[in-house]
Amino acid sequence: MDSPTADIAAETLLDLIPYGEEIDPLALSVLAANLQAVVGLRTCIRPFRDHPEEAFIPTRYQFDAVKVLDDLCREKEGALFRMGVIQRDLCIPILTYVYGESQLGGHTAVISLHRLHHIDRQVYYERGAKIAIHEAGHLLGLEHCREPGCLMRFSKQLEQLDLLPMRFCPACEYEIARLLKKAIQNRH
Amino acid sequence: MTRSMHIMVVDDEETICVALSAWLTKEGYSVETASSGQEALNRLEKKHYDLYLVDFKMPGMDGLQLVAEIKRRQPDAAIIMITAHGSIQSAVEAMKRGAIDYLCKPFDPEELSLLMERVAAAKTIQQAEVPVVDQWDTSRQASWGGIVGQSEALRLVLNEIEEVAPTSAPVLITGETGTGKDLLALAIHMRSEQAQGPFVAINCGAQSETLLESELFGHERGAFTGAVKARRGRLEMAGTGTLFLDEIGEISPKMQVNLLRVLEEKKLCRLGGNQPIDVDFRLVSATHKDLNQLMREEQFREDFFYRINVLTIHIPPLRERLEDVPVLADFFLQKYAQETGKPVEGLTPRAVEILMGYSWPGNVRELRNVIERVVVIARGRMIGADELSFLKVYGGGTRSGPAATLKEAEIQHLQNVLESCDWSITQAAKMLDIDRVTLSRKMKRFNIKRP
Ligand SMILES: [Zn+2]
Ligand SMILES: [Zn+2]
Repeated sequence: MDSPTADIAAETLLDLIPYGEEIDPLALSVLAANLQAVVGLRTCIRPFRDHPEEAFIPTRYQFDAVKVLDDLCREKEGALFRMGVIQRDLCIPILTYVYGESQLGGHTAVISLHRLHHIDRQVYYERGAKIAIHEAGHLLGLEHCREPGCLMRFSKQLEQLDLLPMRFCPACEYEIARLLKKAIQNRH
Repeated sequence: MTRSMHIMVVDDEETICVALSAWLTKEGYSVETASSGQEALNRLEKKHYDLYLVDFKMPGMDGLQLVAEIKRRQPDAAIIMITAHGSIQSAVEAMKRGAIDYLCKPFDPEELSLLMERVAAAKTIQQAEVPVVDQWDTSRQASWGGIVGQSEALRLVLNEIEEVAPTSAPVLITGETGTGKDLLALAIHMRSEQAQGPFVAINCGAQSETLLESELFGHERGAFTGAVKARRGRLEMAGTGTLFLDEIGEISPKMQVNLLRVLEEKKLCRLGGNQPIDVDFRLVSATHKDLNQLMREEQFREDFFYRINVLTIHIPPLRERLEDVPVLADFFLQKYAQETGKPVEGLTPRAVEILMGYSWPGNVRELRNVIERVVVIARGRMIGADELSFLKVYGGGTRSGPAATLKEAEIQHLQNVLESCDWSITQAAKMLDIDRVTLSRKMKRFNIKRP
């Protein structure tokens, strides 16, 4: 059995890269499962690695998301898409914080679990999965969507994020499927 | 109105420019950056932007000077000043010179998002009001409040508008998508007794039912999760002006009852509120659907229909008034040539022939998009048959016999456009000037699938 389609199906499309050993392994499993189920990205959890120190901004006590993306970009090995996961707070120079950052239509993304805390662990995992799926949508090239029940909608607050179902609207879902197919084709 | 905003970010720090434009691009805006005030002004010579985000502290021309210079060249420009924390004084100074707001960096994503929503909303209202009024006074011969044409059919429509405008009776405008029903509604408003009041437009087909309800009626604080502040609805905003309900065929029977009550009692309550608010607007509605058919299917209430349909105006599709095509094409060509700064002067006779041989299922809006596209790709002073060669792909239908019904034409057109952009819904929606959700609904309804 070495038909090309079987090859593609078995190939890892997204590497989930945990920065710092304090990350809850169960959270990583939930992220991977949802990325696979909702976006259709076969996901692999890579070993823990150290915090990206060169991205640390001492005056803000936060990590610069753009620099983390640079770090992930430099990597030669690995899957088509790479998503960093960090337990510490992320920001970009102009914004006080971000839940995640990604290259629109690019290859790398990073998300932070720092601000997603909830007394109910289940809610915490779901928030992480929603952020990861949203950033994966950007990776494939999707912009924000105005539909109320779509994960590509920009959530101004966590409460809004909590109200979203774990899926895209039909229009985004269609685009995801199309763009994913295209991304895989271009790779081969 | 679905067109996205063009934004210019001016900052000497590259990281700020990159971060801001990346964020705004994901929000669906089209963004350009400039690293100095002078560069921004040079670009402004060629093209006007809807919004400028200007950093206060820059070497050379500083933010304050730039605000004044932009305002001098483009008085309607919206400008937001970006300042460092602890320099509120400079922000206040900027607002005195015409900036609409300011942000202290680093700012909250939520704050930025709310501000952008506010600017976009203000822009929509401005777009509906200002440019058309401008054209009114300085009107070229063939242009009448942004309505352009020379056909007998259009002249009859304009006569009807002159007649119905001064009365306060509700008007229903019927016509295919893209015929410019919104411009007719605005024309009615401008010539009516309500002209002093606001013109408030809303597309009933563009949002979900719950969202539409709160858009129309507004809500009190805490009326539902997420209603952190009380908000006025469109009905309330219309006040003593004109309310324009586009795509009225899309609203649910339940909403029809709610609206009917407002029209009869001239009072409404916000969602979650019980204080009646007086309203006295004139209603103009529009639809591309056959409301009689919807009534037979019990999708549209008869009592509501007679309420909104006291006077009717029908605007014929572009293919039934092809004489308007050359004038419209020329009007849009001048407009886009000016906007893009390209030295395009006109169309060759052969190009006009091609345009007049096409059936324009997307009507004036499609013609506008086609002209915008050819101006962008044009290389010479005249636009010829070559630049219009992409139209032949669409025209392929003529050989296999023209589409018989509107529905067939729509399906054919959707397929052609999707085909031409490799079945990207995002791009096709942009070309068709509708949103992605509407397009995907249409594809589902007509069972259009990628072959
Ligand atoms: Zn996003
Ligand atoms: Zn969506």
